[in-house]
Amino acid sequence: MDNFFLWLGMGLFFLVLLCLYRGVFGPGVLNRVAAISAIGTKTLVILLIMGYIYQRVDMFVDISMVYALLNFLGTITVAKYLEMSGEI
Amino acid sequence: MTRLTDDIIIRAVARIMIPFIQIYALYVIMHGHHSPGGGFQGGVILGASFILYLITHGLEEARARMSELKAGIFSASGLLIYSGIGLLCLILGSNFLDYGRLSLILKVIPAQARSLGILGVEIGVGITVMAVMFSIFFDISTGGIIPEDEEIKEENG
Repeated sequence: MDNFFLWLGMGLFFLVLLCLYRGVFGPGVLNRVAAISAIGTKTLVILLIMGYIYQRVDMFVDISMVYALLNFLGTITVAKYLEMSGEI
Repeated sequence: MTRLTDDIIIRAVARIMIPFIQIYALYVIMHGHHSPGGGFQGGVILGASFILYLITHGLEEARARMSELKAGIFSASGLLIYSGIGLLCLILGSNFLDYGRLSLILKVIPAQARSLGILGVEIGVGITVMAVMFSIFFDISTGGIIPEDEEIKEENG
């Protein structure tokens, strides 16, 4: 089962790289914001998988919940800023 | 960024999420011995919940809940809790923040007194970090200029 989660984490890492491409070269700001938000979500799942592999799920659940909260807050803040500054 | 807009989805989501975020922040402060976290981290999460409220509900409603004055009072009182526990240890005849001596007034064994003393200090740190986080965000987002104050100033001449 460990091996399965390891391969799952590596697959998610590959998807993070794809999102990173969109975040760096993506046309426009909205693509970049969406890409960063998607990277945050995938990082959350990777953290949980790491917790399972290291047998410390109870610890990594806390970290991943804070990560999800700050990711949500950051995305909303950037979206609100873009709306108010009228760049879109 | 802090003006009120009528985006109902964001406001509803924030209204549902903020109590859970605050409960989680209290858990992080209380459970800091056994899991990652502690006073600072829990305070940051608690401050993030207030920042989320300010972003989603606008400056006016946020000031009604947590004004600059309240943030200042909270940051000072958190520091007072921290240094008060430290000085209490000093008064009881031990070093600053040496919680073992608190067993004299808490009527428990020294190990338990250490645990309770650290918890009290972490609560103080959490309150201070929450208030300072909020007031930093408040000052940056308004640029130090609050619309109400400007109107009053114009009326007075």
